[in-house]
Amino acid sequence: MNEENIIEIKNLKKSYDHGKIKALNGIDLNVQKGEFVSIMGPSGSGKSTLLNMIGALDKADEGYINVAGIDLIETNDLSEFRSKEIGFVFQLHNLIPNLTVLENVQIPMYEGSYTSKKMDKRAKELLKLVGLEDKIDQMPTKLSGGERQRVAIARALVNHPSIILADEPTGSLDSKTGDVILGILKDLHKKENVTLVMVTHEPYVAEMADRKIKVLDGTVAE
Amino acid sequence: MSYFSLILKNPFRNRTRTSLAIVGIAIGIATIVALGLITGGLKASTETTLKAGGAEITVLQNNSGQFMNGRIDENRVDEIKEISGVKDTAGILRAQVEVPGADFPLSLTGIKVEKLILANIDSVTGTKFSNGSQNEVIIGKTASETLNKGVGDTIALFGKNFKITGIFETGSFIQDAGAYMSLDTLQNLTSREGEVSMIYVKITDDANITQVSKRIEDAYPNELTTTTAMAQASRINTGLSAIDTATWAISLLAIIIGGIGVINTMIMSVYERTREIGVLKAVGWKGRRILGMILGEAIVLTLIAGVVGTVMGIIAVEVLLSISPTTSFIEPVFSMDIFIRAFGIAFLVGVIGGLYPAYRASKLAPTEALRYE
Repeated sequence: MNEENIIEIKNLKKSYDHGKIKALNGIDLNVQKGEFVSIMGPSGSGKSTLLNMIGALDKADEGYINVAGIDLIETNDLSEFRSKEIGFVFQLHNLIPNLTVLENVQIPMYEGSYTSKKMDKRAKELLKLVGLEDKIDQMPTKLSGGERQRVAIARALVNHPSIILADEPTGSLDSKTGDVILGILKDLHKKENVTLVMVTHEPYVAEMADRKIKVLDGTVAE
Repeated sequence: MSYFSLILKNPFRNRTRTSLAIVGIAIGIATIVALGLITGGLKASTETTLKAGGAEITVLQNNSGQFMNGRIDENRVDEIKEISGVKDTAGILRAQVEVPGADFPLSLTGIKVEKLILANIDSVTGTKFSNGSQNEVIIGKTASETLNKGVGDTIALFGKNFKITGIFETGSFIQDAGAYMSLDTLQNLTSREGEVSMIYVKITDDANITQVSKRIEDAYPNELTTTTAMAQASRINTGLSAIDTATWAISLLAIIIGGIGVINTMIMSVYERTREIGVLKAVGWKGRRILGMILGEAIVLTLIAGVVGTVMGIIAVEVLLSISPTTSFIEPVFSMDIFIRAFGIAFLVGVIGGLYPAYRASKLAPTEALRYE
């Protein structure tokens, strides 16, 4: 594996429904450390599947995928990898409704060996970075869509991941709020020196990235 | 917030469903606790009838068909005392008497005052009646409570006024619900002079109950028969063990019904939180942490049901015993065993009911869970 690359993918294939649906049809992709890559493509092109493969939420059928030095096909229990290396930001914020903003941000920290003091410190630090320091004790239902997504970003960063995987993070927001979220993501990607891989439908969002990748019929088109 | 606090918090996300599940399990636990308290009370009462000091053998009329109310010649009381191995004897006359204002007839026993120890009555609050007195009676603690009479009060028996000189307590619910008076007096009142219903026999320390019983029966063939306190206790114990078996059967039923209730509640909970479980997996939670969380939630649920059920069971017993005169003489026994059993069952129901939903949650594929609408 190239030292510079944090993600290396070669001829990655994944099909569903006993091979009838070919979601990934031989993907080749390298992403460098600290890079901001956007992935575009029509619905059903396989871009979300690709993101799930990078985040080890799903396993590929064939090919090679190495993320942060871990071979994701050969390794069995990938929960530790997800906990340490990956931060997910979903289109829907997916916050836990009965937990406060602070508690939601701390959720990924349960798998680490943090003291509750450290958990509080780190979560508060990130909530300050996303501008929600005055809402730490609020319930998610009291927050606006943009605020919820900011909580989700703080949650994604709490374990100091090396990669943020964002699946249409502005997809359910109005354009103005979406811009704020993108600004925060881009800012944090720089500040925390995190690699950012973002799936998006919006060309102007894709333009903000260091590099654009287009996925078509389960392969990288350009 | 700690993982443990999260487990404590989660069951209350759907309060109605959780409360209903708790009530369902609590009813089972309450039944177990209530039955345990009552059988415990009956057992303790049986045991006190066996305690030292009292007579070991009861002599009854053979084939009288009247278990406790035969007709025996009073001379036998002194004759039996001469049999080898017998330390002391007491003639007992039994009668049931209506008491004005009481729901049930009072069980009255006539005995010579110096023989009260053979009936397990050692000391009384107040004084004992005197032999030959025409109007003195001592009553048991339960009788004193149900009749609302104390030392110094009078009570009308056979149309005559008797003075209550003392209150006794033996621990046996049958005895404590009755009254004792001088043997002569009761013989007069019931026109049964020279007659007793049964004879209490106390044996010497080195004698064998079975051998002494046989000697008595052999001395009066076809006339007298004997029963021992042990034999009586074992009869009661057979009845109690049937109740015990029923308690266990109910416990088992409670486990099954409660378990199904917990499975249902937790499956619904897991189902509703599918996406959330997907998120937990995405952020790196291991399968066993998710399993632990759901299982923990099920156990929290059933342990709360354990507390609620125990309180419900105690209240039910207290209410039942206070409103029903037939059961008012039973003293529930609050033993640690009953509560350990109740909480053990609650815990077991939690584990059994929580295991499958927890396993299912831990095995959810994250991508599918996250797609779940």
